[in-house]
Amino acid sequence: MKKDELLKLLMNCNRCGLCQEVCPTYKVSHIEANVARGRNRLIRLALENQLNLDKEPEVEKIINECLLCKACEDSCPSGVPTPEIIASIRTHYTNTKGLSLGKKIMYRGVFSKNRNISLIRNLAWIYQKCGINKLVKFTGIFNKTDEMLPNLPPKNVRSLLPALIKKLPNPKHRVAYFLGCSVNNFFSSIGVASIKVLQENNCEVLVPEVNCCGAPHHSAGDMEEFKRLAKNNLKMLNNLDVEAIVFDCSTCGSVIKDYKNLFSGDKEYENVAAQVAEKVQDISSYLVSIDFNKNMGTISKKVSYHDPCHGIRFLKVKDAPREILKSIPGLELIEMQEADMCCGGAGSYGIFNPKFSRDILARKIGNYKNTQSDILATSCPACAMQLSFGMKLHNLNCSVKHPVELLAQAYEIKSL
Amino acid sequence: MVDKRLIDQLRQIVGNENVLTSKISLETYAFDASPYSGRPSVVVFPTTTEMVVAIVNIANEKNIPLMPRGAGSCLSGGAVAPDGSIVISLTKMNNILEIDPLSKIALVEPGITNKQVQLAVESYGLMYAPDPASQNISTIGGNIAENAGGIRGVKYGSTKDHIIGLEVVLPTGDVITTGNIHSHVEPELDLTYYFCGSEGTLGIVTKAWLALSPINAEVKTMTAIFGSLENAGSCVADIIAQGVVPTTMEIMDNIVIKAVDDYLKLGLPRDAEALLLLEVDGFSSDVKTQVNSIINAFATNHALSYKIAGNEQERQDLWKARRSVNGALGKLKPANIVHDIVVPRDRLAIMLEKVAQLAKKYGIIIGQVAHAGDGNLHPTLYYDHRIPEEVEIIEEACDEIIKETIAQGGTISGEHGIGIEKLKYMPLAFNKPTLHLMKKIKDAFDPKNICNPGKLLPQITED
Repeated sequence: MKKDELLKLLMNCNRCGLCQEVCPTYKVSHIEANVARGRNRLIRLALENQLNLDKEPEVEKIINECLLCKACEDSCPSGVPTPEIIASIRTHYTNTKGLSLGKKIMYRGVFSKNRNISLIRNLAWIYQKCGINKLVKFTGIFNKTDEMLPNLPPKNVRSLLPALIKKLPNPKHRVAYFLGCSVNNFFSSIGVASIKVLQENNCEVLVPEVNCCGAPHHSAGDMEEFKRLAKNNLKMLNNLDVEAIVFDCSTCGSVIKDYKNLFSGDKEYENVAAQVAEKVQDISSYLVSIDFNKNMGTISKKVSYHDPCHGIRFLKVKDAPREILKSIPGLELIEMQEADMCCGGAGSYGIFNPKFSRDILARKIGNYKNTQSDILATSCPACAMQLSFGMKLHNLNCSVKHPVELLAQAYEIKSL
Repeated sequence: MVDKRLIDQLRQIVGNENVLTSKISLETYAFDASPYSGRPSVVVFPTTTEMVVAIVNIANEKNIPLMPRGAGSCLSGGAVAPDGSIVISLTKMNNILEIDPLSKIALVEPGITNKQVQLAVESYGLMYAPDPASQNISTIGGNIAENAGGIRGVKYGSTKDHIIGLEVVLPTGDVITTGNIHSHVEPELDLTYYFCGSEGTLGIVTKAWLALSPINAEVKTMTAIFGSLENAGSCVADIIAQGVVPTTMEIMDNIVIKAVDDYLKLGLPRDAEALLLLEVDGFSSDVKTQVNSIINAFATNHALSYKIAGNEQERQDLWKARRSVNGALGKLKPANIVHDIVVPRDRLAIMLEKVAQLAKKYGIIIGQVAHAGDGNLHPTLYYDHRIPEEVEIIEEACDEIIKETIAQGGTISGEHGIGIEKLKYMPLAFNKPTLHLMKKIKDAFDPKNICNPGKLLPQITED
């Protein structure tokens, strides 16, 4: 975004401070630099040449401490798009300074290439299984950061596809299922459940060969790589003969839905992106829209639901996952306070901003604990990773599940 | 440059993590919701009264100005840090210490937000009556400093009517407790009153005993639209004259209706000249009579149509509309000034009309909302602060609004405070003996003038 466009957006902030109520970093710190109004003021001073963005490491730190959760924008009466402004400034940093080595290895080296993610995943699986992790934990060198990874499944979803995908005799629907990196590699049980649930509802499921949606690159301001990944994905998703492209990861769904803004003005990709966006559907919303099969077995558990930022504020999904949970016989849905507050996961935020991430997580887990439920459900693997980490950190013996996992389980119990 | 020894002392009192000194972090404490800004030298976050005392003692000893700060949502510049000052941010003193539903009292720390108090007492069927539009973020300490009123003000009054007692650290470092905490009976010389509306110039509130009110059994929220501001204004005077005291009577003009509707998309009547938002509460028989009188007043004052909110969602939508006014208007121009003038109720219609005429005369945008029930108007003037001519015109228009207010028998601030913004109008609103007395009171509390100096009280010129 150009400087004068940014300034125009920033001018809309009349410093009323309503962002204080919803900004997770402000809620845990009570410091003005950690809320939209403070961040926007610093950016404005920089754009008005009163501060030099490139010579103030503290400003860069503050810019990077935003979770991009969009809560401020949604509650801002002037509609100041702070996340967009922050993302623009991060792009500026990446363009002028390049990515830090850590981010470069992690984003371009790992997330950008499916093979490398699988490789890393396999190494991590070995790490968890062979016992080195216990030794490492004992030495404390990772300060529990290694525990952020969930317990890894032995195989990723893509390698299970031949066995999973069934040929249905008379499919009523035909959908593409977007298999994102996190679900594929770290939460294969979610991917397996999604495919099973869709098939149970008489949907023929295609699983296109996509790559990373580019969310990590976007949030780090690496627009070049983000666009490259987006173009690849659009090629894979365009012209599919399906009624919907279904996502069990809110982040992937909202990033892909937003490709149309990424390519606005681009003759080759703008229309394609808009057509693909039309078909993007969160899996719970899709299931509700096709009046999903309610014939299920009983799960007698108390469940609370955490709204992923990308679900509630980007894809605008609120009721559908709750409707699915409530439809399961025996399951009691207990709402927690601040269900729509970011969990502090925010992609790789926790790795680069551990203090904020853990403070926000502690608040989230505290709210969950008050519900006294057995299971915390959420529709995003990135949140699931953070929330499972939270359960470990706070010694809670509760599991984190995607609503479709519970639905798949309920279908399974019925068929037993 | 900031005295390094001072910083060390402050760190010892509140801990390293509770002291901000960097240029960047201080920039984020230079301002509030007004157009002004200042240059603090350090920000501290105490968590106990003892810490506040220790900080004040240092400031007192070294003659350093200090400023207590809550959410920093002040509209008149009250929370703009004086140059070189120690900002005492009370946002980490944010606990509710006790709720006594029987005596209807809550004991809270100053940094808790108004809304958190409301949520905490709601389950007892109680509310804390003052409800400024900023209540989601503004703190009880800030509400006391500004004597915040709010939308329910017409029936319930302002902050000063709901404070039973205070613990205050005086600028001398002494700690006092005001009020009679276990009874609503007020002592003869009521010290609590001095602090309500003192804008942080007399001391730092560290605890507050709040009087809670029962939530009434039934509430009816209604809106009416009018073809002119004048009709809406007379309708308000009529309703009050009939003996009905609604909890709320808010007028929004056309500019405001449109801005809010753009933000919330509620389907407000975008071409209406004025919208009146009303709420009455009480027992159901009582509410019925009030609603009937109000509907009569609508008819006599030529309301074009009216509506009664059918359910809680509709009601919440209307409230959200009202609470979003300040922010939603931010879209019109990069800067604005909101006034909070007060006129006698029977002058409301004429004052609304006069302000609309001034907007025409100067060729500027003035949005008007009013807590009409208590004659409290919020004309908001929009401009571009980067264009010197616009700034000049706005200043002139403001001066005229204030002069007109005083000519109508009104006063310059209903709830936003004097701050920096209205200092120059103080001599218009109060005569010299009154200003001198105020100065003497200030001197009695703060002999060295270190507590939020440069706000509220103007320099008195002798002639």
